[in-house]
Amino acid sequence: MRQLLLKRLLQLIAVSWGVGTLTFILMRSLPGDMAYRIAASRYGMDAVDNRAAELVRQELGLDQGALAAYWQWFTDLLSWNLGNSLVSGTPVSESLWHMLGHSLLLAGAGMLIALLIAIPLGLASAYWGGWLDRTLLTVSTAMRAVPVFVIGLLAVILFALEWNLLPVAGFGTPAHLVLPALTLALSLAAISNRVIHTEAQRVFGSSFYEFARLKGLSPWQAFQHHGIRNIAVPVVAFLGIQLITVIEGVVMIESLFSWPGIGHGLAHAIFARDIPVIQGAALMMGMMFVVLNTLVDIACHYLDPRGGRIA
Amino acid sequence: MSLIHIENLSIYAGMIELLAPISLTVEKGERLTILGQTGSGKSLLAQAIMGNLPRSLHSQGQVSLFGRMVDNAERQAFWGTQISMLPQEPWNSLDPLMGAKQQLEQTYRMVAGESPAEARQQAAYTLALQGLQDSGHKRVDQLSGGMAQRVAIACAMAGGAQVLLADEPTKGLDVSRRDQVVQQLLSQSEQGALITITHDVAVARQIGGRMMVIKSGELVEQGQANDILTAPKHPFTQALIEADPKNWNEAEGDTRHGEALISAQDLTIGRGDTALSKHLNFTLHQGEVVGVVGDSGCGKSTLGDTLLGVHNAMGGQVKRHSKAPRHQWQKLYQDPTAAVSPAVSLRTLLNDMVALHKIDRSRIAPLMQQLGLAEDLLERNSEGVSGGELQRFCMLRALLLNPVFLFADEPTSRLDPITQREVSQLLVDVAKQNGCAVMLVSHDPDLIEKRCDRVIRLSA
Amino acid sequence: MLRLSFTQKSGLLILALLLAYALGAPLLQSGDATTQNLSQILTAPNADYWMGTDHFGRNMWLRLAEALQLSLMMAALCVLTSALIGVTAGVLAATRAPWFDRLMDGVVTMILALPGLVLVLIFAAIVPGSFWMLYVAISLIQWIEYFRISRAITQRLTQSPAVQSSQLMGFGEWYIFRRHYWPAIAPQLFTIAAFGAANAILMMASLGFVYVGIQPPLAELGLMIVEHFSYYSDAPWLLAQPLIALALVVLACQLMGRGKSL
Repeated sequence: MRQLLLKRLLQLIAVSWGVGTLTFILMRSLPGDMAYRIAASRYGMDAVDNRAAELVRQELGLDQGALAAYWQWFTDLLSWNLGNSLVSGTPVSESLWHMLGHSLLLAGAGMLIALLIAIPLGLASAYWGGWLDRTLLTVSTAMRAVPVFVIGLLAVILFALEWNLLPVAGFGTPAHLVLPALTLALSLAAISNRVIHTEAQRVFGSSFYEFARLKGLSPWQAFQHHGIRNIAVPVVAFLGIQLITVIEGVVMIESLFSWPGIGHGLAHAIFARDIPVIQGAALMMGMMFVVLNTLVDIACHYLDPRGGRIA
Repeated sequence: MSLIHIENLSIYAGMIELLAPISLTVEKGERLTILGQTGSGKSLLAQAIMGNLPRSLHSQGQVSLFGRMVDNAERQAFWGTQISMLPQEPWNSLDPLMGAKQQLEQTYRMVAGESPAEARQQAAYTLALQGLQDSGHKRVDQLSGGMAQRVAIACAMAGGAQVLLADEPTKGLDVSRRDQVVQQLLSQSEQGALITITHDVAVARQIGGRMMVIKSGELVEQGQANDILTAPKHPFTQALIEADPKNWNEAEGDTRHGEALISAQDLTIGRGDTALSKHLNFTLHQGEVVGVVGDSGCGKSTLGDTLLGVHNAMGGQVKRHSKAPRHQWQKLYQDPTAAVSPAVSLRTLLNDMVALHKIDRSRIAPLMQQLGLAEDLLERNSEGVSGGELQRFCMLRALLLNPVFLFADEPTSRLDPITQREVSQLLVDVAKQNGCAVMLVSHDPDLIEKRCDRVIRLSA
Repeated sequence: MLRLSFTQKSGLLILALLLAYALGAPLLQSGDATTQNLSQILTAPNADYWMGTDHFGRNMWLRLAEALQLSLMMAALCVLTSALIGVTAGVLAATRAPWFDRLMDGVVTMILALPGLVLVLIFAAIVPGSFWMLYVAISLIQWIEYFRISRAITQRLTQSPAVQSSQLMGFGEWYIFRRHYWPAIAPQLFTIAAFGAANAILMMASLGFVYVGIQPPLAELGLMIVEHFSYYSDAPWLLAQPLIALALVVLACQLMGRGKSL
């Protein structure tokens, strides 16, 4: 366990270093007189003069040599000084917390709905099999073949544009959360119901489960005491793998629904080449990813006393 | 009233008959042993009695338990409290995430209906009775196979069942552990009835009682165990009994040995940081067959790897007196399917080796004939031949290299008894003719005694 | 020889049809994918334009073929590169010095610290609209899967009786790779490659969808979907075409990679 936590800590450092370096390269590789362009985008084309450009140059450390600038960039990063947005001029760290709240709300709601869909369906299809299993397999396969933004688009077309039940995009009311969360949930459930199905089938067919029945436990007792936990261990471990789907889904869904989370912020910043925001958002996503992974590790450790994780 | 009464029970997969109609009756206090080779349908019989046949199979005929005709669904109500079953491979039949005592306690509570305090006490008492009081908190991956089987037996009986069906209860256990398990089964059966299914003649002999012999789904002989084991009537039963190492012909006790080949001086062997066996001193000579015995975990395989130079000794010395090159020190493996690549045909593998060491091709045919290997076998890959054939192919490869030393690590333990007898005899004969020293490992002391010139005992 | 299941064969068939269309379409209709014809915008499929035209009057028959070519090329390049690097590194990590294994483990831990899409997004930001940058970024993520599988299999096999037996018989390392490691890795490789191809295609479409991937006027599936979305009520076939193409190509890859369940 200690080794795992150490590995996660190493990953946190790697995230900061990797994101910092990549965005630094990004900053240096922008074509033309960057400071002038940034000043133009911030203050408007007419208000730009050389003095304004000079200020920006100093602010971003573009007047230093590459190595010194890199060092400066990195120490700023470690002290959580993420700079100001090139577009709005506001400090990046402030808006990040705001965005994080929205992203976590979306991710949490999506994962919750996904579990509510996937657990009963996965268990039922493993227990009864037959047409239920075949239908679920077909639907899951089809859902996995379309990217998450397509699920979102179809949901928008149906629920928002055709039936006018829910708002197309934006945020503010609970109704705004429904479509993004449902989209995320469907894409997650398409995979996890099959994983739960496979694991449940493995447990139901295992000889320890059969023995639990043979030694006299009722079907419900056997499931309660020997089923749930044995199914949960690999499923929770799989959750760690699925976190990638969650984060990637969040990026796409937020962009699609204009949900003001980190993914939306990241995609927007890349489009606008707002480098400090790119850095901040990528950093935040990476950290969120590592922290969630650590939580999964701890859950696995708690559930499975044998130690060791499947992934 | 008989506890179990079966009339013309047969088992089918679709239209294919897997078990021919069989009838039997078990009275209170009786022991019944069903003897047969792997795949003869004897496990299906137990499942059909219990009513837990796989869904793809179905049974015909009548089963009465405790004087009542019952269908599959009704029988589930008897599970645990009236009739119980011990599945094969105990390490798979216990919950991998739960401690042994917890599982036993749970059975006392939920099946026997005791209060939590009573159940805790009962579980502790039962474990202590089996000498497992210190292992109660352990999970199945921390228990040895024998311990796991004894916990499983205790769980199976905790609900108060009178009848126990034990399916291969000793499979994969060492002889000493096997005896403990058999003793526990016998003491359980005093209150009710015991039906044991086994391929092991020694277990059948220990349990005694009545016996039925099954060959590929058909009953060939039945009667008192003692009578059948001393005077078998059916040729199949005779072959089975002869295949028990206890009934093999003695080795000739050859004492003419060649020069010293390899010796161990104060050798300590181990894996990782754990020493498995200490202070070993012995010398092997050319053409000698030496047995190695000891319980599992005492380092029999590690000894071989250390002598072959694959594994480093933890202390002491291995001294080779012969200058034979490395490829003349060979090894045979317990599981031949794990030792041969299934990717290409056996002929390709053989050709690879012939080309590498420039072996005279004319030697292959006579050696294959001696080993009883058909030429067309080589066209298949390792998954397309039987375990016995594959082990003989491994012997062919090893012998073509003119080995001076052959370490045979349980080479016959995965084979059925009749093949085991042939292959082990062949190994010893062929090695002696070629002047090769053999170190034969087995968990079965009878086998070692009948096949080897002398024995090295390892103790943990 | 790989023995394919019915599911895998159907995947292969769909992929072959898509490939035939992507490569053969330009031979059947002349013109190119970027020529605009503003007098012929949003036409429904007809005899001249077999699949209609888009909002700039561009020929969809040709545009869709071009987009598929691009997606399939990306998938093929990523699979080849990452398989080659991953398997080589995996086998070496399992059989060479422990320090190399630890080094590789560290590299993998670092790359896995960021979700793949985020890493690709940042790379895409460095050189906007570059096919090659996307290829580098996607391969950088995908080789890890090959690495982990081949390392795990090789590690298990180095301790196996089969490899020990070959070593005792005097065979060299290349022989052991050829007879033991490769035959065990190869079947797994096929599965990873199929899913990897699907992921590469999805990744590129996702980037196109958020406007940071391949840039217009080049035809790309994700980009087309977002561009055509505005016209969904006037010209539903226009949105349906890239959607169906994307779903089919991903489905084909996933079916090929599928064994029995999941």
